[in-house]
Amino acid sequence: MSSEKKMFIEALRKKFKEAPEDKNTKYYIYDGWKQSKRKREFVEAAKKVAKERSVPFYNPDMHLGGIPMGQRVLMPYRISNTDIYVEGDDLHFVNNAAMQQMWHDIRRTVIVGLDSAHTVLQKRLGKEVTPETVNHYLEVLNHALPGAAVIQEHMVETDPGLVSDSYVKVFTGDDELADEIDKRMLIDINKAFPADQAASLKKAIGKKIYQVCHMPTIVSMTCDGGTMSRWAAMQICMAMVNAYKLMAGEAAIGEFAFAAKHAEVIEMGTLMPWRRARGPNEPGGIPLGYMADICQASRVKPQDPVWVALEAISMAAVLYDQIYLGSYMSGGVGFTQYATCTYTDDVLDDYCYYGADYVKKKFGGFGKSKPSWDLIKDVGTEVTLYGLEQYEKFPALMETHFGGSQRAAVVSAGAGVAVSLATGHSTAGINAWYLSQLLHKEEMGRLGFYGYDQQDQCGSVNSFSYRSDEGLPFNLRGTNYPNYALNVGHQSAYCGIVSAAHGGRNDAWTTNPLVKVAFADKDLKFDFTHPRLCFGKGALREFVPAGERNLIIPSH
Amino acid sequence: MATYKPQFYPGKSKVAANRKKYMDPSYKLEKLRTVSDDDIVRLMGHRVPGEAYKSVHPPLEEMGEPACPIRELVEPTPGAKAGDRIRYIQMTDSVYFTPLTPYMRAWTGHTRYRGVDIGVLSGRVPLEARERDLEKVAKELVETEIFDPARCGIRGATVHGHSLRLDENGMMFDALRRFQFDKKTGEVVYVKDQIGVPLDKPISVGKPIKEDELRKRTSEYRVEDVAFRTDKEVVSFIERLHMLRTEAGFDPNRVKGI
Repeated sequence: MSSEKKMFIEALRKKFKEAPEDKNTKYYIYDGWKQSKRKREFVEAAKKVAKERSVPFYNPDMHLGGIPMGQRVLMPYRISNTDIYVEGDDLHFVNNAAMQQMWHDIRRTVIVGLDSAHTVLQKRLGKEVTPETVNHYLEVLNHALPGAAVIQEHMVETDPGLVSDSYVKVFTGDDELADEIDKRMLIDINKAFPADQAASLKKAIGKKIYQVCHMPTIVSMTCDGGTMSRWAAMQICMAMVNAYKLMAGEAAIGEFAFAAKHAEVIEMGTLMPWRRARGPNEPGGIPLGYMADICQASRVKPQDPVWVALEAISMAAVLYDQIYLGSYMSGGVGFTQYATCTYTDDVLDDYCYYGADYVKKKFGGFGKSKPSWDLIKDVGTEVTLYGLEQYEKFPALMETHFGGSQRAAVVSAGAGVAVSLATGHSTAGINAWYLSQLLHKEEMGRLGFYGYDQQDQCGSVNSFSYRSDEGLPFNLRGTNYPNYALNVGHQSAYCGIVSAAHGGRNDAWTTNPLVKVAFADKDLKFDFTHPRLCFGKGALREFVPAGERNLIIPSH
Repeated sequence: MATYKPQFYPGKSKVAANRKKYMDPSYKLEKLRTVSDDDIVRLMGHRVPGEAYKSVHPPLEEMGEPACPIRELVEPTPGAKAGDRIRYIQMTDSVYFTPLTPYMRAWTGHTRYRGVDIGVLSGRVPLEARERDLEKVAKELVETEIFDPARCGIRGATVHGHSLRLDENGMMFDALRRFQFDKKTGEVVYVKDQIGVPLDKPISVGKPIKEDELRKRTSEYRVEDVAFRTDKEVVSFIERLHMLRTEAGFDPNRVKGI
């Protein structure tokens, strides 16, 4: 492949003055941080704040005892698969409203089945449940869920202007029932998904009906993920009492609460163990496969599973690597620099499409081969060596991914995604990731940081160690898997490995069809069909999030 | 019983041969330059030349150690005997044909030196040891063929540079500009110690190794010289190792007898 055809070349040309192939450049002539527009803004803002608060504040001249950042070019980044160039600072989640909203939209969501409540209503209380009563109940809940009273008198309520992003919709696999549901409150599987995916999803869901409850972003920001099922359960119970004219406090209400809090609730993330303790719906408990399902790229362009995997990877990079490992577990700002490599400058795109082409040529397409050592070694090694050679052929690319952990993540992601595509098997994909790490370490004689190397060098052993011949347990791993507990830079690719396996098989979902459908909703604030574009808009300050407090603070 | 002869590393290429050579303690590293003992001490910046070693415990012979078979088996290093504190030298090695890659630096250190604690990252390799032992190790690290003044850096912090393009003189980037290329002498001089504290006078670490020579001595595979994929023995060795680890993780019985 000529350099002209490599996907990352255009970004490299924008990032650096010299040709991507040049091995030499000049240093110490760029006027430090002043070369960055964003950092100049930071300095101006900080000067003002420091004066107001009388406590010292941001001052880049404190860096290294007076040697400021920017002794080399502070390069911009292209959001992959877009024409958006941003500064690195714009990709820290604190500086990017779209990144925050992606997380809030996940955290504030629970899925609650309605069937057990309907059973209680019909069989225990002798009430009639019809599409009309369901529609009425949903309308009541759409009043209550954002924080309004439905049965109590003299109650405080939340300002609708602050909680406008909170609502409930339902979905079902039963077309006849779906036809009867008020379209304003229905996730229409037939409309949201391509026909083959819709058919698979409806078959998996069957005649059951599920509510997707989105609590207000402002609640998500103020409370935690564990709040969500409780908030939803309380408002669901109140709405039931109202809609079905029940006695407030009769024993059956406890059944609704139990269903909404336990029996019928599907949280996006599970509880975490004590040493990493967080409640449900926090990032560490979200399985890789759920993350791949939350990403909706697969229903937009199912014919391109590489693109789908790359979109999922970007979401996982932001949530798992930047927000969770980078902040919940670590603190500081370093992880952003590290994690953004998977969705910037079209580098991983190039490696993945190279792997996809290789698989198509050698194995006749995606998902056509069973996992085998020959395949894993062939594809895993080829994509790894291709990736490593690009860094050697293009010094500007090596400088772009100036940390070894960045290179290790991107190269191994390419290898893992390619094997996933070939086999339709995520465990084979993750095994190729680990082969790639070992090859990389020997080729370059270096890999990532201490922790990176430790976890990857024992990864071969644990990739097939748990019932891998019975299913796809890898889809249920996440940062809660002990060896991944501080495995930054990896989770994004792991999510992509899951996505690519199922994309390669043309599956409608990876792990949970309910999660896939729950986020097939155009009314969500974040666009889960095009996460990278959305992050780019956030970086350009063009994304409008929810949860703003302008209504309740002085104008400013 | 056959005598075990360490092979140190697989592979048939020049790079693999260098890896084997550097790791083999019976191979004497070629000395390419002289840096005085005092200058080594200054470069590391832990003590002033001539200053007594700081100790963290009394000499071992004064301590009355408990009976312990390990203590009887292992001869303490001079620094341990004296109770020296533990200090470090940290190296950054460029991706452009450095003599020792980070892992090579660690493996070489472990096969050649006693009492060292070495860590590996992509852009730096800290080596910690008792202070007087460290100074001996550091001298060999800097004076021999496993060091290139332009492509290796002695850097305690702000190590960035290993993956960056080279400057107009073929030097690795260093944000702190601890070292400089002296165009008059053609030598590399350090003006700051490894942590970035200015030195009283510059210290020369000699001329950069010429590019051709560097390629002969490097332990780094690169496409423009020895591409990793051409060293088929190393590639297949790693693939086999990965396969065995995976199979053993799935079911240890599957690798019995291999």
